[in-house]
Amino acid sequence: MTTPLLSVENLQTQFETAEGTVRAVDGISFDVHEGETVGLVGESGAGKSVAISSVLRLVESPGEIVGGEIRFRGETLLSFEEGPNGERRQSPESLSNKEFRQRIRGREIATIFQDPMESLNPVFTIGSQLQEFIEINRELPPKDARDVAIETLREVDIPKPEDRFDDYPHEFSGGMRQRVLIAMAIACQPSLILADEPTTALDVTVEGQILNLVSDLQEEYGTSFVWVTHDLAVVADICDRVNVMYLGQMAEQADVHDLFDNTKHPYTEALLQSVPRPDKTVESLTPIEGVMPEAINPPSGCRFHPRCPDARAVCREVNPEPRNVSDTDTRHNAACVKHDAFDVDYEHSTPIQSEGDEFGEDLQVTEGSR
Amino acid sequence: MSHLRYTIKRLLQAIPVLIGITSITFLLINAMPGSPVEVMLGPTASEELIAAAEERYGFNQPIHVRYVKYILAALGGDLGRSIHYGVPVTTKILERLPVTLLLLASSFAFALSVAIPLGIVSARRRNQPVDHGSRVVSLIGVSTPNFWIGLLLIIVFGYHLQVLPSNGLVMPLTPISEVEGATSRLDVLVQTVRSLIMPTIALGTLQMAAVSRIERSSMLEVLGRDYINLARAFGVKESVITRKHAFRNAQLPVVTIIGLQLTSALGGAVLTETVFNINGMGRLIIQAVRTQDYALIMGTTLFFGVMFVIGTLLTDLTYAYLDPRVTYEGED
Ligand code: SF4
Repeated sequence: MTTPLLSVENLQTQFETAEGTVRAVDGISFDVHEGETVGLVGESGAGKSVAISSVLRLVESPGEIVGGEIRFRGETLLSFEEGPNGERRQSPESLSNKEFRQRIRGREIATIFQDPMESLNPVFTIGSQLQEFIEINRELPPKDARDVAIETLREVDIPKPEDRFDDYPHEFSGGMRQRVLIAMAIACQPSLILADEPTTALDVTVEGQILNLVSDLQEEYGTSFVWVTHDLAVVADICDRVNVMYLGQMAEQADVHDLFDNTKHPYTEALLQSVPRPDKTVESLTPIEGVMPEAINPPSGCRFHPRCPDARAVCREVNPEPRNVSDTDTRHNAACVKHDAFDVDYEHSTPIQSEGDEFGEDLQVTEGSR
Repeated sequence: MSHLRYTIKRLLQAIPVLIGITSITFLLINAMPGSPVEVMLGPTASEELIAAAEERYGFNQPIHVRYVKYILAALGGDLGRSIHYGVPVTTKILERLPVTLLLLASSFAFALSVAIPLGIVSARRRNQPVDHGSRVVSLIGVSTPNFWIGLLLIIVFGYHLQVLPSNGLVMPLTPISEVEGATSRLDVLVQTVRSLIMPTIALGTLQMAAVSRIERSSMLEVLGRDYINLARAFGVKESVITRKHAFRNAQLPVVTIIGLQLTSALGGAVLTETVFNINGMGRLIIQAVRTQDYALIMGTTLFFGVMFVIGTLLTDLTYAYLDPRVTYEGED
């Protein structure tokens, strides 16, 4: 296989809080290949956004990346090694913060933020903000950068971009601001764009327009995308491959078709059953029972077991890593011990009740069973 | 265009405020017991003498007539005569005003040039030694009365070390011959600076402390915003983020505080001028009250009121310049 554009391995990011350490991202791995749109899916709090910020090294204190490896086109951006006193520290192959800023941010990996209302600086004009990023990342003189900026605004369907260039963010609607954020990402001509729920704040019509726009632009430039969302409809619409996250870990990773038609993880199944799909009536929707526990004190074993309808005793003991459980040639990873790839005798384990069962009682108090 | 319109609008809005200030001052002074003429002529003056004087100064007229006359005269630049000094009030104010303005300007220059960098550095190095140090300095600055700082400075630098003059303020344009030991304009300027140092610190410390706290918290707030993170995500340098992307946004609350400090500094100037024997507006108002010099009280109060209005006006205009949303909302 060709070298992936972006490869994330066993990434760990945690937050030190007064109540203890929150492992927001707890050892996830995923790849993004050239020209691909990869979905990162999960409920809020699953760690999707933290994963994205970690790739860009934008995690803010008290958060910290504490382990894992990130490679871009085979080059190590970040890795860890054992220090002299046994502590984990950033290895010397990692890019320095300065190099990372100059070579990667914006230039190779750009990002589209979630909240268009908060992501533009209110005291500078739209145009000057866009132009500045272009000047930095494409090393163009101001005059040319301005032309590129206007051209890009036109491409994201901002009417009369020459006139709107000097407008301030408050003079734009939410959808228009989101277009500006997209313009910022594509104008820098990166190879990869990390989009963090960029359409969540918008209404459905505008969301549809933005998704079409992104598809068009991707066809034109062949840019790869990581698309963070909690919305499986969006995933079905634009993604080639999907990673489903649950409580800081990967639950399932597959081709978009395999994921929808040949679901291997009970959590993904539950997610699919909770959203409307064209091939299903609304009556048959079942919400996922219970709420996702806090990452500060995750359940023992498989983190989904308190809510999983298929949970058995062994699920409290074993925390499965995603393994290939595909019955075809394409890889299909699932982190669920009910598959044969996990040799833990799931078959003979006694089923446990969970919130997902019909008469489910609160079985979240399983801490001591470890 | 829109800025100009906004400025004009704010200027027009200042007019009612000024009318309010003059009316209140006028009424308050007239509510004081005794007539100014009695004060001027002393307790032994005869009835006829008082009546004659009241007529001469127009005190026998009804209050609204006097008010309208006063306003009309004031618009023409005539604030009446100071009974104590025997000169027009405007002359006295114009003589003292530059002194106070110089003192205010220099203490604000000192306060801002220390406070803004200090606040920014504290925000960037939150909870590091610099931040703790600046917190202690601010706390002391905010909680120490300026006359006490003034006295302390006088004791140390004026009395014990004898390195700085602790009495009076040499204005930069004073004739050379009137300044002791000066043989050139440069000597006078040196004297100006030397005589300004202690009053500046005494008056400016509070401003410095208050502004640096606001600068720090405001900067911290802005540095955590999404648009700052966006700039980082697109490879903008941290120094540029601080200087450009965060700075302007962070100044909005700071400007408000500076505007408020301007008025509190006027009050501080009264004390500072007293401690350092500086003949500025502050001492003038005290002398006016002491001698019950009505026209002078009225004139100086009016002046402080105008300063207050100018302060608020400047704050608003700076705000409008910094934040494009301010003028925009006004046009809706
Ligand atoms: S491992 Fe067990 S609890 Fe976890 S998803 Fe699979 S069946 Fe459910």
